Amino acid sequence: MSATASQPDASYLLRKLHSFTGVLPVGAFLAEHFWSNSAALVNAAKYDEVSRDLQTIPFRPLVEWGVIFLPMLFHAVYGVYIWVRGKSNVSAYPWVGNWLYVAQRYTGLIAFAYIGWHLYTERWLTHGHSTYATVETDLRNPWYLTFFVVGILASSFHLGVGIWNFLCKWGLAATAKAQQAAGRLGVVIGVAFSVVGILIVLSFRLNWHPFSSYYLPK
Amino acid sequence: MAETKRVIVKVKRQAAPKEPSRWEEFSLNWRPSMNVIICLRDIAENPVTRDGKKTTPITYDSNCLEEICGSCAMLINGKARMACSALVDQLDQPIRIEPLTKFPLVRDLAVDRQFMFESLKRVKAWIPIDGTYHLGEGPRVSPEVQEKGYPLSNCITCGNCLEVCPQVNEHNQFVGAAIISQVRLFNMHPTGAMNKSERLQALMGPGGVQECANAQNCVHACPKGIPLTESIAEVNRDAWKQALLGWLLG
Amino acid sequence: MRQPKIIVVGGGLAGLMATIRAAESGIPVELFSIVPVKRSHSVCAQGGINAAKNQKGEGDTTDKHFDDTIYGGDFLANQPLVKRMCEAAPGIIDLLDRMGVMFNRTPEGLLDYRRFGGTLYHRTAFAGATTGQQLLYALDEQVRRHEAEGRVKKFEGWTFLSAVIDGGGVGRGVCAMDLRTMELKTFPADAAIFATGGIGAIFGRSTNSVVCTGSAQSALFQQGVDYANGEFIQVHPTAIPGEDKLRLMSESARGEGGRVWVPRNPAEKRRPKDIPQSDRFYFLEEWYPKYGNLVPRDIATRAIHRIVYQEKLGVDGQAAVYLDVTEIPRETLNRKLEGILEIYEKFLGVDPREEPMKVFPGMHYTMGGIWVNGEDQATAVPGIYAAGECEYQYHGANRLGANSLVSCIFGGGLAGSAAVKFAKSLEKGAEAAPASVFEAERKRQEEKNRKLLTQDGSENPITIWRELGDLMTEHVTVTRVNKNLQAADAKILALQERYKKINLSDRTKWSNQTLNFALELENMLILARVITLGALARNESRGAHYKPEFPDRDDANWLKTTRAKWVNNDIQLTYEPVDISLIKPRARRYDAVK
Repeated sequence: MSATASQPDASYLLRKLHSFTGVLPVGAFLAEHFWSNSAALVNAAKYDEVSRDLQTIPFRPLVEWGVIFLPMLFHAVYGVYIWVRGKSNVSAYPWVGNWLYVAQRYTGLIAFAYIGWHLYTERWLTHGHSTYATVETDLRNPWYLTFFVVGILASSFHLGVGIWNFLCKWGLAATAKAQQAAGRLGVVIGVAFSVVGILIVLSFRLNWHPFSSYYLPK
Repeated sequence: MAETKRVIVKVKRQAAPKEPSRWEEFSLNWRPSMNVIICLRDIAENPVTRDGKKTTPITYDSNCLEEICGSCAMLINGKARMACSALVDQLDQPIRIEPLTKFPLVRDLAVDRQFMFESLKRVKAWIPIDGTYHLGEGPRVSPEVQEKGYPLSNCITCGNCLEVCPQVNEHNQFVGAAIISQVRLFNMHPTGAMNKSERLQALMGPGGVQECANAQNCVHACPKGIPLTESIAEVNRDAWKQALLGWLLG
Repeated sequence: MRQPKIIVVGGGLAGLMATIRAAESGIPVELFSIVPVKRSHSVCAQGGINAAKNQKGEGDTTDKHFDDTIYGGDFLANQPLVKRMCEAAPGIIDLLDRMGVMFNRTPEGLLDYRRFGGTLYHRTAFAGATTGQQLLYALDEQVRRHEAEGRVKKFEGWTFLSAVIDGGGVGRGVCAMDLRTMELKTFPADAAIFATGGIGAIFGRSTNSVVCTGSAQSALFQQGVDYANGEFIQVHPTAIPGEDKLRLMSESARGEGGRVWVPRNPAEKRRPKDIPQSDRFYFLEEWYPKYGNLVPRDIATRAIHRIVYQEKLGVDGQAAVYLDVTEIPRETLNRKLEGILEIYEKFLGVDPREEPMKVFPGMHYTMGGIWVNGEDQATAVPGIYAAGECEYQYHGANRLGANSLVSCIFGGGLAGSAAVKFAKSLEKGAEAAPASVFEAERKRQEEKNRKLLTQDGSENPITIWRELGDLMTEHVTVTRVNKNLQAADAKILALQERYKKINLSDRTKWSNQTLNFALELENMLILARVITLGALARNESRGAHYKPEFPDRDDANWLKTTRAKWVNNDIQLTYEPVDISLIKPRARRYDAVK
């Protein structure tokens, strides 16, 4: 083989980058985001404190664009490119993996649409100063509520399957047994995110703060 | 009149690559242990459709009839499988028989799977020996390696794993699971490992291992039960390690 | 300097080995095969490949391998080349090992060996129960490498129709047909090697693959390439009956401890598992205590026929006996025999690890084939070579199990080297042959095609083929009776007459398999007569050829090679002596010490 061919093809690198960004930083950010928003389960004051802390990090625009918006945008756009180049056949071969393959594409799209809207309403319209009150107001709208729930479920599912895909596709879970275990891990992650996400929504919607006794004012 | 048991078979016909396709239905005499090949042979001997129209025998590929040559892959009731081991008694009727869809059609059920053989060339799926003259014994191989390698070397290049893969299609030159698994096999062999990096390199090009999207259909469709998803995972790992270390360390 | 060119027809083990040898010497090779070479019939070989490496410390030697082969073949093989093959066998194993064949291994990482029929030594190297597939793939990979590097050009999906032979009687190339476009073309070459395999289709159902029709051998025969010992047809004792084909149950099942038996009581109603040992008849072990279940194939086949047809002890009154591997530990079965047991399970829906398999003999292999000299695989026509199952050289009157793979690779390599030498030695190669020779051959074949595609008639080629197969299986396999052989020949002649009136149900000119089959059928009918007439003439019993009227081997009159020639459009049998210069013929008995 000639020396000129000693570098991987661009399609290889982009594909790997797509897979990688899904976990880092996108997946990690999602985890962080769910974690911060869990503050609502304590109470509104705690939520606003966490929110304020996040709004006051140094290099904020750089972090937001470099670690969150751009990777997510790339992951989404390249994901759509992958989608259109695939040709699903789940009606002929209704195996679990094949269902997940299809579902991963639709949930990705839903998650992307949701996140875009979520960013617009909670980040853009609030000029980066979202508070418990703004979210709570938004969630009174039943359409908002529905979209929140669907978006959270889709994102959680997409992340769970994505973790499984990542572990298989990077060869970190290579044997059949390891891939099964990776699948179970994906389920745990997907379910955990779904549950936490829904609890947060319920917290806003019902003004329900199960951990309010933890609260210590600053 | 004594009713003999009938087998109803529907075959998708196409006279040539650019001709339109059509379905023909046949009614055949049932016999014990009948398989799809026997159906096609019956039609060849008496090419008359169910409604009495004369037609031509069906063109199809077959050779060993014991699922080891890889010739007779086709869609049977919508599923990619080998016709020789498709027993009529285990199939819903009418039995629908169609050509594989991921390869250029030749005629009727015959398709051209040259793409797979070209891919094998591309990934250098061979052990580069110096010559066939006497050079002594081969390298020692532990039974553990043999037991891993042997199932991989059972691949019959039937193309079923490509057929069922959502990532293999006209937009996409994905080589498919079979070829990736062969790379794993040759990289595993002590002599073959000397050219490991070249093979991985070939799989990091267009249509390479990155195109796998982990639907895992291949492993279900493989008639030889080859652990294809394991092969893809291992090759994937070797590939990114090589790319990363190559970039970092030269 | 002129660049010689070689053509190889057939992409099984022998053809691929010939291709590699020629390509390696720097001569371009054009390789023709009906199917992609990776799908050749060699993949069906299961059990293993013989070589006296003595890796079990049993004192095995290549001389003993040679003796077993000659003795197993009932002294009909010319001995010197067989000796060379047995001596080359260990080197062939080394070569395959270097090519990366996934042979089974011992804990030390060395090749493992198993026992096979007709020998007392562990001499058979194996890769699971799909050794042929593994070997073919190894050679296929090497050829693909040569192809990628420009030394080999493949013509897959082409069928050989005839050789191009010039006025001086020298082979100058081939005429072949593209099975997709149905285009006919001639290809000049300085030497052509034929490795066109078996002839199973002549017997209708056999263990052979669909492409094993013998059509190429027959076409060559009709062009002056003599055919030898056609009457020696191996019927494998243990095949799984099926309507489309007889699927082989490898000898390795017995090599690993499988036992053949029938219930002593023909009216037995119990399930095989419930029948106590005392009520089971292990007839091979009783009749042949020394070799037991591993007697040579002809012996085992006749024993099973005797059990079924004379003793009337067939399982459930059918033509079947039990082949029982249920006593072998499951782990051993899965490690060493998985491939073949899966075949049984897949095609019959019964797990042979739980229940004994029902098997019956089936046509398997032709010992006879294209006549070649005892030196370098050259046929009766200069410039034409033959190797592999399609030639007659190595197996005498009966082939030992696991000897075919070694003979294919040895013969193929020898033919490759010889063809290169011949091609280089020519002062003027195929390019010097007049274009009219090629033109005439193409015209002759085109005319045949034109006639078949346009003639109207009443006969169906598949029906004729079925009748031929039934006829040959009934009269020209295990037991041969002269009056039946005469009747069979008369019937083949009648089939040939009917063939003239065949009507093709497909007259298109694109991927027309019906036309190709009709062309093959004509050749099959002629080769069927060569086999039948050879059997009729040979009034003795030797190896696979058994005549109850002449139950003994007759060295005084019949220790000779049948050499059929095509003279005035008819078959003429001639005979030549067997080279027995190395081992003196002795009685062949497996029921006693040899």
